[in-house]
Amino acid sequence: MSNDLELKVVDLKKWFPVRMGVVSRLLSRKPKHVKAVDGVSFEVKKGEIFGLAGESGCGKTTTGKTILRLLEPTGGEIYFQGENITSLGKTEIKNLRKKMQIVYQDPYESLNPRMTVYDIISEPIDVHKLADSPAEKEEIIYDVLKDVELVPQEEFIMRYPHELSGGQRQRVAIARTLVMKPSFIVADEPISMLDVSIRAGILKMMLRTGEAGGISYIFVTHDLAYARHICDRGAIMYLGKIVEMGTMDALVKNPLHPYTVALMTAVPVPDPRLEKARAIIGGEVPTPIDPPSGCRFHPRCSKCMETCREGEPVLREVENGHYVACHKI
Amino acid sequence: MPILDVQDLRMYYSTLKGDVKAVDGINLEIEKREAIGLVGESGCGKTSLALTIMRLFPYNARIAGGKVLFEGDDILGINEKRFDSDYRWKRLSYVFQGAMNALNPVFRVGEQIAEAITLHEDVEKEEALERARDLFKLVGIDPERVSSYPHELSGGMKQRAMIAMALACNPDFIIADEPTTALDVIVQAQTLQVIDRLRRELGLTMMLITHDLSVVAQTCTTCAIMYAGKVAEYTDINTVFEEPLHPYTKALTSAFPSIKEERRELESIRGAPPNLLDPPTGCRFHPRCPYSMDICTEEEPKYKDHGGRHYVACHLLE
Repeated sequence: MSNDLELKVVDLKKWFPVRMGVVSRLLSRKPKHVKAVDGVSFEVKKGEIFGLAGESGCGKTTTGKTILRLLEPTGGEIYFQGENITSLGKTEIKNLRKKMQIVYQDPYESLNPRMTVYDIISEPIDVHKLADSPAEKEEIIYDVLKDVELVPQEEFIMRYPHELSGGQRQRVAIARTLVMKPSFIVADEPISMLDVSIRAGILKMMLRTGEAGGISYIFVTHDLAYARHICDRGAIMYLGKIVEMGTMDALVKNPLHPYTVALMTAVPVPDPRLEKARAIIGGEVPTPIDPPSGCRFHPRCSKCMETCREGEPVLREVENGHYVACHKI
Repeated sequence: MPILDVQDLRMYYSTLKGDVKAVDGINLEIEKREAIGLVGESGCGKTSLALTIMRLFPYNARIAGGKVLFEGDDILGINEKRFDSDYRWKRLSYVFQGAMNALNPVFRVGEQIAEAITLHEDVEKEEALERARDLFKLVGIDPERVSSYPHELSGGMKQRAMIAMALACNPDFIIADEPTTALDVIVQAQTLQVIDRLRRELGLTMMLITHDLSVVAQTCTTCAIMYAGKVAEYTDINTVFEEPLHPYTKALTSAFPSIKEERRELESIRGAPPNLLDPPTGCRFHPRCPYSMDICTEEEPKYKDHGGRHYVACHLLE
């Protein structure tokens, strides 16, 4: 594996068992699974911002969490900076967590309401023994608060989450991860709960600190308009599979998979003069318990052929760095 | 005559810490068949304004002034019984936020729609159910699904069922409160197309409440930008995007990313939306405004027409 890769994921699977009733068990029916992530492979280069996009239930968040081993993978391999971390033990993973972090979607839920900003940021410092003295700890906290633009620090350090606005809370949540100087962060919809006017501010701050610290990001999002302006490369997921992957430019300007095309057409555009009569595909995402056979998108696809019902398409490179999983192409 | 004329409307919530001025002097003249988008960030008073128009107040809310005229009649002044029998649901109706939770889980969807009809009109249950079937057809759901329970419907279908319910008594004016916020992009686009088609076919006047400017761009004919309990700017939809006059509108439109444009640096608005318990003096946007002058901190700007139904409240234009 080359040195400029931060992360490599090979055929990653995460299945959740569906609880069975007594009758099903007595009849020893086969246990069912929600195949949230079902064979996903991609790479994230050092310093890159990789977007993982799709509708709810497509498995984007589960992919992010499984990569960090916050969920145990059902199958496949995860390489972080060249090292296979798929089956590392608890203590080894704990040491790795310093380098790989997550920012959650909802800053109203992810911060402990009984802890002050100081306590929240102290916790990772204490757990990973990053400071030798209380004075050093304080210095680290002041520095990281400056990084996330919560200044003057004195004003924020003793506050509780309820005394902060949504944007400030998300900044604290980001500070809590930055304090460990990670090299890789999974940002799980970090702005979707925030007001429009402050979203760009949070994103810019994340990008700036990312650039300064050489951090690679996986940006999990359902909002393609933001992904377009933030990410270098991205993957579109549908029912636990990647259907298309490439540079953000290629995905937006030259989408090849019918699902990507449908998704791009459906994204609302802030321009009243744009053609309004767009062809929007019908139906909704089916359940991942018994996903459709063959290509999972075939029941909704306008270009569906016989082969689509039977064989599952593989993700192939069709032009330089642009991968698509579709029988038509 | 405008179909709905909101005049200097004020609605405050009493709390232990004082009054939250959620709606604080709003003027809007909505013409028949207009589709007005009410846009603003969370907590700016969009939903409070809509609930005031529908007279659906929480227990701690009170009208602190102003009028709402529906086709010339003051609908805040009449008694509740008359409002309920003559206006609510029959002439003005509401698609509630969060369709996922707005339907009662223990009743069939069709029955819930039929109930709305039998409460407001003198019809038998059978006939009401038949109308529920027609309404389902109208919003693009298989009419047989009237006998489904809410959990048997997908998110998009529940949202359509809520729209069908709002249309149950043939209203003239419909308020849709964040009708697509919880939906995925594709279902959102489907739902917006249904709303747009119905509005045209049935000749409805519509108020669409959302925080998403791009949703408004594709469904509305006019747009009112709200900030901290007030309307900052109100004009036709093209002008909002092409020649906005209020600094907040300008900032908001450029903060909105578009998938159609080249990759660019996104812009944010400094600061955060104010607390309506103690809003800033003068113009409420002044602490975040890049063009703020002395007068902005002292005096509230007047909301007035700057030509051709382009209403703005800003000192820069004086």
